[in-house]
Amino acid sequence: MNHVFRRGLVAPTVATVATLVAWAMAGAEWALLVLAVFAAAIIAFHLWHIRMVTEWATSPLDTLPPRGRGTWAATFSAIYRRVRLRSNYQRDLRAMIQRFRKAAEAIPDGVVVIDEANRIEWANPRASEQLGLHLDRDRGHPIVNLVRQPEFLRYLEIGDYAESVIVETFRGGARRALSLQLVPYGVSEKLLLSRDVTQLEAVARMRRDFIANVSHELKTPLTVVSGFVETMQDLDLDDRQRDRYLGLMADQTRNMRRLVNDLLTLSSLESEHSSVADERFDIAPLLLEVSADARSLSAGMHEIALEIAEPASVVGSREELASAFSNLVSNAIRYTPADGKVTLRWSIDAEGRGVFGVTDTGIGIAAEHLPRLTERFYRVDRSRSRATGGTGLGLAIVKHVLIRHQADLAIESTPGEGSVFSVRLPARRVFRETADPRCTAGATVTT
Amino acid sequence: MSDHTSKQFDAEMEAIRSGVLTMGGLVERQLARAIDALGEDEDTRLIDTVAADEQTINQLQVTMDQQCAQIIARRQPTAVDLRMILTVSKIVNDLERIGDEVKKVAYKAAGIRGNEPLTRMRYFDVGRMATGAQSMLHKTLDAFARLDVGSAAEVVDDDDQIDLAFNAIMRQLISFMMEDPRTISAALETVFIAKSIERIGDHAKNIAESVVQVVKGTDVRHASAEQIRAEVASE
Repeated sequence: MNHVFRRGLVAPTVATVATLVAWAMAGAEWALLVLAVFAAAIIAFHLWHIRMVTEWATSPLDTLPPRGRGTWAATFSAIYRRVRLRSNYQRDLRAMIQRFRKAAEAIPDGVVVIDEANRIEWANPRASEQLGLHLDRDRGHPIVNLVRQPEFLRYLEIGDYAESVIVETFRGGARRALSLQLVPYGVSEKLLLSRDVTQLEAVARMRRDFIANVSHELKTPLTVVSGFVETMQDLDLDDRQRDRYLGLMADQTRNMRRLVNDLLTLSSLESEHSSVADERFDIAPLLLEVSADARSLSAGMHEIALEIAEPASVVGSREELASAFSNLVSNAIRYTPADGKVTLRWSIDAEGRGVFGVTDTGIGIAAEHLPRLTERFYRVDRSRSRATGGTGLGLAIVKHVLIRHQADLAIESTPGEGSVFSVRLPARRVFRETADPRCTAGATVTT
Repeated sequence: MSDHTSKQFDAEMEAIRSGVLTMGGLVERQLARAIDALGEDEDTRLIDTVAADEQTINQLQVTMDQQCAQIIARRQPTAVDLRMILTVSKIVNDLERIGDEVKKVAYKAAGIRGNEPLTRMRYFDVGRMATGAQSMLHKTLDAFARLDVGSAAEVVDDDDQIDLAFNAIMRQLISFMMEDPRTISAALETVFIAKSIERIGDHAKNIAESVVQVVKGTDVRHASAEQIRAEVASE
């Protein structure tokens, strides 16, 4: 027989037996009284339990049921088991959702969940930061009210989400480029993925600018040359004029050749993945060559001094370093007016680094130009730079050579007074011993 | 906003709010490009796009005004809805005016290229002032989107900063003009640019005041920043 019935029959059986005993011993009235008392007790017991069940059923979800007695014990413990089971199941589920949410929060890109009416449902911290959202405040707001960029609105309207869209944002005065992409999921919900592409955009822009600049730099001399060619074809010129035009054309082709050579140097510096040729060579002969080149470039218009505080040998690519040093020196000469002084100085500093400094008494550079000076074709003053025959690539070449030698470039400058460009070679590339004993003596050469 | 028995009405109210912000987004982009034109980027196409955006903004203003008029005629809105519609049409006006000022900035920026001492000033001081106005505009539009009176009050404070920057630029320009009369024409153009940016700040502030008005129901125009803060803080 069922457990409930078995337990449930105990009380009525006891009541019946007690009634019969009372009847036999004290008569019918007493028996009736005993029966009534037992019946009342049984009814009260069950009513009390029904009240307990009702109370439990109306209490908050997940409240555990009270302990029942007698017949009700089994019922209550069955309910208890179900509640426990359900709350365990829910706890697991919650933990799983938490884990997913944590994972979504940890994604390095921004993620925003938006519903079918394009309202914000959830956003991870990265998206909040990139798009300026505050989740607790902005939940339920239409996304287009807060991400207002016309490019994004059009993207959303057209509804072709295969590609992403680039928008600009301004957070605290800084311009950032964000790539936004919508990914539909579920019935009509969407994920909005955002990624900061400021760096990529800057690189792309630099590449575009570079091509535009190269074309422009090549076009200028080419226009001059072709102009003269046409003149010479169309007009009868005397020898004197012809020579003059040919001279000007030669100047321009020289400019073009120099530019192309610099471009080739730059591209080979960039494309060589291998480390630099690690030959060991004495610095003094290299410096003498550089200063001799400087003197021929200056053609006696400047005072050029070479000071070698301590002879040394250097490990690296002699050819590349020579090109970097002579770029610095030729810049100094070009930007120093006649009768100015250019000083080339080699020393080894306290940390053992080799320092090559070029000091000039030239026009100097204003502070705001310094950070961009090594950019290709960056010019402080366009007209002057071209007039002095620069390609706009010299310092870019210097920068690349130095990066390949783990060296750095320090620039100090006062407009109107002059500049100091210093190359610092890392200590492990510099040796105090010279490879060739003839170079041991300190030297100061001035012309 | 509140629930109406007519879902359609809700949608219409939502649409005019989003319309304001769409227009705001356009004005923001236009301003960003005008700032580019102030900078070193010598791209003349920037000015064309600023002018094109201005056209779109003007059209949007007309559409928005029509929408507002239609809602008033068809729904006879009251209380908070009426306040919202009136505010929307005010903000739309301010945005359109900002669009005009931005266009002026972009055109004038092209006119002052190549004047060395002023060029540097244009990048730094005027540029910074323009960036300030830009972040004000952004903040005020966010405040409208969220109906957030707290940041609306901040915008009112920011406007004082813009005014200070304007005064500083004026003093600098005067000294430039006294030192070297050749800078006068470019300096005058720069005055107009700075003035336009200052007006942009004023319009952004107007929008912020409108936000306070729509949320709090009190008119805070011509009130001081302290009064506005007190109004925002009160329940």
